[in-house]
Amino acid sequence: MGRERYPKQSLGSLYGRIKESRILMVGAGGIGCELLKDLVLTGFGEIHLVDLDTIDLSNLNRQFLFRHEHIKKSKAMVAKEVAGRFNPNVKLEAYHANIKDSMFNINWFQSFNLVFNALDNLEARRHVNKMCLAADVPLIESGTTGFNGQVQVIRKLTTDRAEQSATIAIRRKLRRLSPSAPYEAHQVNPYTALFGQRAIFSPFGRGNSRLTDGSEIFGTSEDDAPELDHGEDSENSREIEKLKQEAQALKLIRQSMGSPDFARKVFEKIFSEDILRLRSMEDMWKSRRAPEPLDFDKVSRQASEVDISVAQKDQITWSLPEDFVVFSDSLRRLSIRLHDAQAKATDGGAPPVLTFDKDDDDTLDFVAASANLRSLIFGIETKSKFDIKQMAGNIIPAIATTNAMVAGLCVLQAFKVMRNDYTSARMVFLAKSADRVLSSEPLRPPKQDCAVCGVAQTRLVVDTSRATLNDLVEDLLRLKLGYGEEFSVNNEVGTLYDPELDDNLKKKFSDLGIKGDSFLTVIDEEEENPRVNLVLSISEKSLPVDSKPIVHPESIDIARRARKPLALPEDALTNGHANGIGSVTGKRKRSAEDMVPEDEQPKKKGKVVAKGDDLIVLDDDTSNGVIEIDDD
Amino acid sequence: METTLPAPPHIQGPSSKEKKYDRQLRLWAASGQASLEDAHVLLVQAGPSAVGIEALKNLILPGVGQYTIVDPCEVMEEDAGVNFFVEEDCVGQPRAKVSCEMLQELNPDVKGRYIAQPVEALLRDPEFLSPYTLILLVSPISSLALKTIATYAWEQHVPLFHIHSLGFYSHFTVCLPPSFPVVETHPDPTTTTDLRLTNPWPELSALAKEKTDGLERMNDHDHGHVPCVLLLLHYLEAWKQKNDGRVPATYREKQDFRKAVERGARIYNAEGGEENYEEAAKAVLKSLNPTTLSRHLREIFQAKECTTLTKDSPRFWVIASAIKTFESRHHVLPLPGSVPDMKAKSADYIRLQNVYKAKARRDAAEVLATVRAQEQALGRTDNPISEAEVENFCKEAAFVRLFRGEPLQVVSIDGNGNPIVGHEEPGSECSDGLKSIRLALEDTESLMPLYITFLAYDVFTNRDVPLDSDPAGASTLLHPAPGHADSSVHGDEHKLLRIALSILSHWYTGDSSEIGSRISDFVREIVRFGGGDLHNISALTGGMVAQEAIKVITRQYVPADNTVVFDGIRSKVWVFRRTAGMFRRR
Repeated sequence: MGRERYPKQSLGSLYGRIKESRILMVGAGGIGCELLKDLVLTGFGEIHLVDLDTIDLSNLNRQFLFRHEHIKKSKAMVAKEVAGRFNPNVKLEAYHANIKDSMFNINWFQSFNLVFNALDNLEARRHVNKMCLAADVPLIESGTTGFNGQVQVIRKLTTDRAEQSATIAIRRKLRRLSPSAPYEAHQVNPYTALFGQRAIFSPFGRGNSRLTDGSEIFGTSEDDAPELDHGEDSENSREIEKLKQEAQALKLIRQSMGSPDFARKVFEKIFSEDILRLRSMEDMWKSRRAPEPLDFDKVSRQASEVDISVAQKDQITWSLPEDFVVFSDSLRRLSIRLHDAQAKATDGGAPPVLTFDKDDDDTLDFVAASANLRSLIFGIETKSKFDIKQMAGNIIPAIATTNAMVAGLCVLQAFKVMRNDYTSARMVFLAKSADRVLSSEPLRPPKQDCAVCGVAQTRLVVDTSRATLNDLVEDLLRLKLGYGEEFSVNNEVGTLYDPELDDNLKKKFSDLGIKGDSFLTVIDEEEENPRVNLVLSISEKSLPVDSKPIVHPESIDIARRARKPLALPEDALTNGHANGIGSVTGKRKRSAEDMVPEDEQPKKKGKVVAKGDDLIVLDDDTSNGVIEIDDD
Repeated sequence: METTLPAPPHIQGPSSKEKKYDRQLRLWAASGQASLEDAHVLLVQAGPSAVGIEALKNLILPGVGQYTIVDPCEVMEEDAGVNFFVEEDCVGQPRAKVSCEMLQELNPDVKGRYIAQPVEALLRDPEFLSPYTLILLVSPISSLALKTIATYAWEQHVPLFHIHSLGFYSHFTVCLPPSFPVVETHPDPTTTTDLRLTNPWPELSALAKEKTDGLERMNDHDHGHVPCVLLLLHYLEAWKQKNDGRVPATYREKQDFRKAVERGARIYNAEGGEENYEEAAKAVLKSLNPTTLSRHLREIFQAKECTTLTKDSPRFWVIASAIKTFESRHHVLPLPGSVPDMKAKSADYIRLQNVYKAKARRDAAEVLATVRAQEQALGRTDNPISEAEVENFCKEAAFVRLFRGEPLQVVSIDGNGNPIVGHEEPGSECSDGLKSIRLALEDTESLMPLYITFLAYDVFTNRDVPLDSDPAGASTLLHPAPGHADSSVHGDEHKLLRIALSILSHWYTGDSSEIGSRISDFVREIVRFGGGDLHNISALTGGMVAQEAIKVITRQYVPADNTVVFDGIRSKVWVFRRTAGMFRRR
């Protein structure tokens, strides 16, 4: 009996299956730490965990497996070591690696009974989702932001579409909107100003900028670059000439790094010269306030009384002289760092660069002060360093309590998956609203017009050294699966085949760079009754020379795309595509009106039932800035 | 040239503590963090559940000031299967000590203590509870301890949580003090915009007039950049002139008004439409509601604490009273002053912002003057309320909430081991609470039957000991949990069901067979769990408890009011308000 007594008593026969199970946990951060504790204590037999990240000080307020002495160490390794001690019967395997690495292929995913996604990174989450669908392994997906959280079960659609009960819930469309919409379309608002500053970062390195090709324009980024082109004659030669001059100017400034007037040069370039040039485009400023360049000498005189310790006051909004002091001091700190790094760099290695990191104070100070200076130039409200950190770093509030709840719910859903009981599995939302704390709803069948779930999936075994694209297009798709003339074959690079693009047909898979564990998407473009998108996952295998080079081992029935859904506001609002989780609260009742989160219902006293189209408008309107990911 | 690049001194960024807590400071700010660090949480437990320890963990990580664990038990082997904060090689050691030490490792900023004794013995010292600012009680617990602590908490205004976690089920009740106001409720930002379109003040009207003057003759660019707030004011003015000075009030009128706004948009311009007009049309339904006081605010204004201020009134009530005065004078609350983003020329947008901000400052100054006058009248000028607090209150005024705690009534046991739900209280009858509890019982979606089963569980695990007897130790006060031994399953099921149905009969007199059968399902499951919990359910419940505790400690966000019941088999939460009235004699 001993330690197994209570779990065994509550879980009954399921406990045996849990002990035998082999599961994968991707992400050992906020949710991951909690989840690992829950899984280990519950007694899941073999747990593999993958995380690329290392531990940071700001993790310690919730990622409880980590201590101060673990900072900079691998999350996966430390989590394994710490959690493993608590149940000697559980086998733990940790990988300090990127889940997108090719060693984690479909076969590897198939070796698990269940996968938990506890990741912060959208791209990686999508990848895990795709791999699980391809490997046909159930996935439990989770995310939190502040007090909000969600858990859902994702399972590949079973072949029989009539049996919708055992189906998939759909991933919520993630939104990465800025916390506040800019108030004038082309106005330089604080946010683009800010991201502009991230690009200024380029004097310190070549890492993430376009400086390498000489086209980086100091102090601007893609966000506001259109303004510079605006009203300009974009004749190529003139343009190129200007870019050359620009690059040359930048180079000179970079070379002066470390010299006493480096700060002046950078300052005058970004906050005087560029602004003057922008100002000279009179057309732009006919209907809006023209930017006011700053004068280095004047501002530095005003700043002579300001102490550099002002950089530590991150809750107040700095004045112009204070911004100036933080700007020049952080520039100095960064210059020293880059200089030291260059001195240490070995020949032949990549040149050292400094990149923006919200938790690196030197870089944050620089970005905050520069963003504020730029805001002053454009007559925009300035912000405190604390606020700027949140905007620039895309910081999502995160706390222990939400992670604890979400992890507990993940395991609860796992029990249902392990029982193969998808009818009682639930999609669960947490909200700060205390009226209900959490709400749940049954899993939803896939939406056929959803890019992730409304697709058919199948696996091909391919001898990539022999198979040509024509084998796929003619033999498999047209002959075997019955596709017509109008369709295209795509991979993540672009379109490989469509009726107008037949150059690739003769090429072999290997020549096209299609390897094992890659994916192709077939998009049916017939006007009449087209099929849903078909995702082909490729398994590589040498096949006998006298056999066909592409084998399709399973049978598949590809559904037809639904017409535009007719008047189904209910569906539109509950499947998770339309709303951000922050706005989903409350118990679900099946009436259109109740589908609108309470606090967004028009304040009416029970007399008017809003029309469906109004509901959707309201919803779109309010799902701002909701991101459902624990930050790290 | 005087380039001032000061000599490089020792540079420090935000303290490492601020860095560590960065992600939570964004939710409850430095003020919330300070309250958290001032708190001292007491956990009282005597059973195997890990729920209290899990809740503590979630309070220690964000940096609660201090915690104390009272637990008379020793670590047993089965604890290691549910509690992460004990280790198998600690079997036989005091569980309070082992857990306290392991929890302490989570955060060196937090001070942890433990007392490995039964709480009943400690409670003989009347001062024992005085250091604690929040108490977590985990069942099974003796009704002696529960009653003593509940009485203390109610009288001393200390928030108390009573918690159960058994197998797939859990519950907790939050007992707040009799008056618990929350100023910073953090409403959804989309609901807080107050633009005063239906009753603009002169400066706003003047700005609208100026900026929409000659609207029809404007060039396309200007026309497309009139801020939507000013557009709405312009069209409202026209509407009022046609409708005897009234603004659109009904849904139909608002629809008509929206169409009138939409007709003003230019569609034959280069963009084929105008964003500012789209914004204006979209805002019609949301922004034209007359500013009415929320039910919550009306309750606050009518509360006797608000109508009769004293020298010792808490600051909340002094400000609330001044806001009430403001409201009765102007029929609106002080303006919050924020303006959402919208399509506009920046200069216009900034002017608009300034008009709102200036009005908000004026309103707050008026409230502050009333507060100062009150302080004078009440003779409390020595410790004036800060201007910042008044301003903050004004900004939040529409969303301020007042919670009325309820004392935790304990179901006690008569000489035959039967539950006594009703308590004698002169002049009071079981009233309001009863009606809602009956409705809840009839609602098959509610988890009230599970709640009753938890109450029955407490009765079951308490021995028939008079409340004033001398407690020798917890073990003599508590029965083993139902289903603890395989041999007793059948008998325990029967006994637990009998107790639960007896409690039900206090609240429900009609045909209760259907409700009884639901209770019987919960009873069977709970007996099957044998008093043990499931770690993930305790982790989840511990998360919910800690979350509510943080709201209570920081006085921010809206706390659960006041009872939360969780059914893990159906992934379902039920929240209801448990009142003292429910436990009065019928």
